[in-house]
Amino acid sequence: MQKIRIVHYINQFFAQIGGEEMAHVPPQWREGPVGPGLALAAAFGQTAEIVGTVICGDSYFNEHTSEALPEILDMIKAAGADLLIAGPAFNAGRYGVACGTVAKAAQDELGIKAITGMYVENPGADMFAQDVYIISTRNSAAGMRDAVKKLAPLAQKLVSGEPIGASSEEGYLPRGIRVNLFEKDRGAKRAVEMLVRKLRGQDFTTEYPMPDFDRVAPQPAVKNISRAKVALVTSGGIVPFGNPDRIESSNASRYGRYDLENIMDLTEGKWATAHGGYDPSYANRDADRVLPVDVMREMEIEGKIGSLFRYTYSTVGNGTAVKSSKAFADEFVKELIKENVQAVILTST
Amino acid sequence: MLVVSNNPLVQSHLIREPQHTVAYAPVSFRDLLILVRDKVHQGHVLLTHPLSGSVKPNETLYKSIGMTQQPQAGLCVDSLLLIEEAILAHDRFPPRTREVTPQMDADFQLVDWTLLQSALLSDFARTRGASAGA
Amino acid sequence: MRLELGFIPIHDVQFADTSRVEDGVLYVNAEDIKALVLKDEHISSVEVELARPGESVRITPVKDVVEPRVKVDGPGGMFPGTVSRVKTVGQGRTHVLKGAAVVTTGKIVGFQEGIIDMSGAGAQYTPFSKTQNVVLILRPQDGLSAHEHEVAVRLAGLKAAMYLGELARELVPETIETYETLPLLEGLKQHGDLPRVGYVQMLQSQGLLHDTYVYGVDAKKILPTILYPTEVMDGAIISGNCVSACDKNPTYVHQNNPIVHELYARHGKDFNFCAMIITNENVYLADKVRSSDWTAKLCEFLGLEGVIVSEEGFGNPDTDLMMNSRKISEKGIKAVLLTDEYAGRDGSSQSLADAHVSADAVVSAGNANQVITLPGMDRVIGSEAYVGIIAGGWDKNKMEDGTIMVEIQAITGATSEVGFGYLSAR
Repeated sequence: MQKIRIVHYINQFFAQIGGEEMAHVPPQWREGPVGPGLALAAAFGQTAEIVGTVICGDSYFNEHTSEALPEILDMIKAAGADLLIAGPAFNAGRYGVACGTVAKAAQDELGIKAITGMYVENPGADMFAQDVYIISTRNSAAGMRDAVKKLAPLAQKLVSGEPIGASSEEGYLPRGIRVNLFEKDRGAKRAVEMLVRKLRGQDFTTEYPMPDFDRVAPQPAVKNISRAKVALVTSGGIVPFGNPDRIESSNASRYGRYDLENIMDLTEGKWATAHGGYDPSYANRDADRVLPVDVMREMEIEGKIGSLFRYTYSTVGNGTAVKSSKAFADEFVKELIKENVQAVILTST
Repeated sequence: MLVVSNNPLVQSHLIREPQHTVAYAPVSFRDLLILVRDKVHQGHVLLTHPLSGSVKPNETLYKSIGMTQQPQAGLCVDSLLLIEEAILAHDRFPPRTREVTPQMDADFQLVDWTLLQSALLSDFARTRGASAGA
Repeated sequence: MRLELGFIPIHDVQFADTSRVEDGVLYVNAEDIKALVLKDEHISSVEVELARPGESVRITPVKDVVEPRVKVDGPGGMFPGTVSRVKTVGQGRTHVLKGAAVVTTGKIVGFQEGIIDMSGAGAQYTPFSKTQNVVLILRPQDGLSAHEHEVAVRLAGLKAAMYLGELARELVPETIETYETLPLLEGLKQHGDLPRVGYVQMLQSQGLLHDTYVYGVDAKKILPTILYPTEVMDGAIISGNCVSACDKNPTYVHQNNPIVHELYARHGKDFNFCAMIITNENVYLADKVRSSDWTAKLCEFLGLEGVIVSEEGFGNPDTDLMMNSRKISEKGIKAVLLTDEYAGRDGSSQSLADAHVSADAVVSAGNANQVITLPGMDRVIGSEAYVGIIAGGWDKNKMEDGTIMVEIQAITGATSEVGFGYLSAR
């Protein structure tokens, strides 16, 4: 059997180049295993060979990703790798993000297998657990031996195409994909054990984590809406015609801030939607259908609301990451507060 | 009870019972859920669980859902969450194409009718109690 | 309440002229069983077949599975309120033909399901591939309604199990296990220093082929109530449901409720197992509110500190499960939930139709949508005609070499939500 050709990605620290003061070093190639690669090579025994190691400083990678990543991928490709192993990064945040980014790119762009390892609270784990197999490690390099023990067998399965067991069997972080397994104890016995631990206040791990509950408790009602300054915000993608901010039609990475001063009505040819997730013709014909400026102006005149805030914020909520949306809001909410806006009408599609 | 149903058997049974109204619509399972969602937005309140029964949404063709006869003034948020969750759950089951024999078709109708019947019994106990107390 | 279970192990089943148990072999006179079952005028014909572990046999569509037991001492008889007179059971002594089971099969509706494979890949998913099975193939009188048909098949299984259980009356059990739950106040005196724990069992209660009976009462008409856990060992709860066979509790599983047994295993050591509470999963939403209110109220009233809540089914019962979880947690009582999952064939969908933050301790009995290939079998008891149209099967799933592909939701007991099996998911 041919040996699996492995390329190993590590940071400046594990390559023993230096600590934070050397985090700026750009990608470099070394033949054979370096640092933790030696333990990895031992774990694989005769089945695999670490043909080379890519080393990159954490700061360099995170600050120059667009240059560093292609360079790293070229090195992996040139080495004829079957498998990329990144890290493990334990609880080092920037290193974790780098490991996840490199592993995902190796998979997606080079079409080779990739695996990494992280502590569950490493930000890279949250970002990449669904895309890449990430071995669950302890929070410091003291967990290296344990991590390697789980990493090597899973990596071998990945390369050989063997079925991958459930996360709890193989030791990877849950990927949001449910995999069946047979447990040692029957369900009833596991339930009793879990109850005892819960009663004693000991740690236990639920076998089915509930979906994320990101519900926002509603604010108390606005006391006097006829005096309130009200803003319009939308994820329906309404933008001035031509989409000046180039907001993407899906998975938006930005939002726009548009002036509504003296605008009584969003008219065809002046306003349109950038949203790619619904039939845009109705919104393009009359963008008030998504962002009801016309009605707000009427209510303003009738005295039903105090006033319509001068600016509207708009993005496209089509497959856009919750994280991005939160980041957008974190920014523009500051202005809303500063300008004494008391209520926001958030329209979707 | 207002029964929104795509099940002809339910319609044929309830037509004789004036205390119930059947909104019969010969539409798909999913379209029926949408119809119910629209009625929720109009103020009707769900009285039965939209995912009643263990026959999965991609197995049976029939669904009957009980709602209040009269719409209430505001939207019932609990009803809305329940029907929206049911539509999401429905969409997680991949569509199946298979031959449905006349016997199976009749049995799917029958099971849906018995599920609704259990709710009609509960509803009878509740509304009768309410009118007696009034 | 104190119950002794005397176990008579059965490792083989054979036809014979006289029904009896000898040296661990269950001998069955098929004619006796037929005569007994045919006393019910609703049944037009019955065949009796045997299926043993390891054989190339498929039983389908399975309606119910029942364990032969007999009450040898103490009040009442097996399955009170249905085939025995109504009497509170759960004390004295009961003998069990351990390793034997009565399996009923019969088409009640045209899409019926439930597969038990005695060998091959499917066998590990059903606990009844490990039992010596006496299978009844039941046909109804022409023109019988589906409801009456369901009742007839249900009772036939119970009667046959009673008949076989009776063979154990005079036998000397190989092992005897004792289970005891004291009245609440006495239990507190004896185990005052231990945390008080209970078991909340949710019962299917929605309609035809979705029902459960408690002392003969249709569970959809009960208010949540309290049982001594030993009552279920004498057949206080019986199954009237089999749709989506993976996560429905056959009568056998009620008799052997694994949560009851596992709680007894640590009772008096790690906690004081005070009581079992049963509740239902009705279609009518006001019933759900009432039943979950009552369940939480009973937990509070009993002074419980922790409970295990088991579900039965998917969809509608997910709402009951989350209501129970929320309301029990709001009383400050710690809960562990037991459920199965419908995460799609690729495992990527959200598993339950409802969710609540309080459900932070969940045991999973596996993803019922997992696809499995079952080999062709030499012998099919019942009819394979429905395998293509049952839940979890699909058209053209029968391959030319005789193998079939189904989701494991078609396999009886595959994802038992009382944790009878070992399957789980992550």
